[in-house]
Amino acid sequence: MSTLTHPQPAGGVVLAPRITIADTDIHHAIRSNSDLLPYLSAVNRERLTRFGGTGAAFHWFNNGGVEGHRTDLPESGLNGAAVCDVACLVRDHLDRYGVDYGLLTGLSVYGASVWPDVDYGSALCSAFNDYTLEHWLAKDSRLRFAMAICTQDPAGAVKEIERLGSHPQIVGVLMPTGAPRPFGNRFYDPIYAACEAHGLVPTLHLGTEGLATVGAPTAAGWPSYYVESRLARPGVYQAHLASFIFQGTFEKFPRLRVAFLECGIGWLPSFLWQMDSDWKAVRYQTPWVKKLPSEYVQEHVRFNSQPLVESPSPAVLDQMLEWIYADRTLMFGSDFPHFDFDEPTQTFKNIDEGLRRRIFHHNAAAIFNLRKGT
Amino acid sequence: MAAATNTQMRLVVCPAAELPPGSRRIIEHEGRSIGVFNLGGQLFALKNVCPHKYAPLCEGPLTGLATGDRPGTPALERVGEIVRCPWHGWEFDIRTGRSVFNPHRVRTKSYPAGFECIEPGGGAAGSVETFAVALEDRHVVIYI
Repeated sequence: MSTLTHPQPAGGVVLAPRITIADTDIHHAIRSNSDLLPYLSAVNRERLTRFGGTGAAFHWFNNGGVEGHRTDLPESGLNGAAVCDVACLVRDHLDRYGVDYGLLTGLSVYGASVWPDVDYGSALCSAFNDYTLEHWLAKDSRLRFAMAICTQDPAGAVKEIERLGSHPQIVGVLMPTGAPRPFGNRFYDPIYAACEAHGLVPTLHLGTEGLATVGAPTAAGWPSYYVESRLARPGVYQAHLASFIFQGTFEKFPRLRVAFLECGIGWLPSFLWQMDSDWKAVRYQTPWVKKLPSEYVQEHVRFNSQPLVESPSPAVLDQMLEWIYADRTLMFGSDFPHFDFDEPTQTFKNIDEGLRRRIFHHNAAAIFNLRKGT
Repeated sequence: MAAATNTQMRLVVCPAAELPPGSRRIIEHEGRSIGVFNLGGQLFALKNVCPHKYAPLCEGPLTGLATGDRPGTPALERVGEIVRCPWHGWEFDIRTGRSVFNPHRVRTKSYPAGFECIEPGGGAAGSVETFAVALEDRHVVIYI
């Protein structure tokens, strides 16, 4: 395989040697609500038809591109900020870049996790999962799926994990990061127990900040513009990360691995240092945390790099990758088809080749059971 | 309690009655500051300097060893035998002078570049210097 090269994009750009690519963030969607109807009960069919989905729309700001998506892709294959046609995904992404494994992360039912009626939320998640099985996973063996769950309905989420968690292409559960309580809270423990039992990865992704039952998207209140909300993301992920560590989630679930998607990495070095420093100062308040927070992170948490920060120089990027233990913790995610996607061949193209292979495949394969069922 | 040797200087801290169990004394001698503790009748002395930022360690709160086998169920053992630095909360075992979380090991392991810039004042294992204490002629004395 090493002699192959990627299909060459327009513009004569020279691409790096062919490596195995696991893309950990691909957004797929229903084309319209009617796609979910076959998988809903009669009462929820009527509800979806007459009332609509959860009402918690992802686009609470302008986003970028057009409705969040790249503008060089055919509109027919897109629904807002996600791809709704598997043929479009295959042609414009999987085949184009030689993606070996593509993790579908959805978008259509993120709002289900913050909707006050959790039964309806869980029903929409189940329907979206069934829709994905039939119209996506069955259509291309390269696809994997972080299945939808209603995070605020742990019992319903566990039921859904037990129903579908053994499917060979389902490797994670998607947890939208805007939430009423951070994810280390024991409220979520049943979900983690089920994930651990099924070898699934709780997969965090932004998208529900400021929606429905969630309060303002930042503790500083409401940003006015999309760019402000974008820049507020690291704080949300930091709150979840500290929560996982200091609530002792990884002490309770020692085989659990979690993925943080679309959070970037620029914030991470100093946050790791700060967690370690704070642990030394107030360790006695959470004595079940037995080791440095950064040690838990190295063992249990994986990050994808998108949107990759534009560092001032390659040397700075190399240093940052060392600081975040990228050889173990970092994964590639494109965020296809979003306007701010990281193009596989142009991302990390100047770093050490061995590290590049780890980021593009090995680290993801170490937590997501990509070869499950094969 | 470290053993005294012939080359050390003997300092009288106070009459034994003035250092009852659970209490401590800070003494100064030629620019050195030392904390002397009575833990249930046993005497211990530590250098009154935290190896982290040189705070007066022995003046911090006396506490116990916080433990927790399971998240959400904290416990406090060996109450009164741990001193917590008044500045940044680093904890030391009064009996041994050893850091509870062993900061030097931690630092060495995590930040080989010396990120925290701590001078190795407490020895490689993350300890605070201890001194021999004795009860002589109904007085507490230390050897430094």
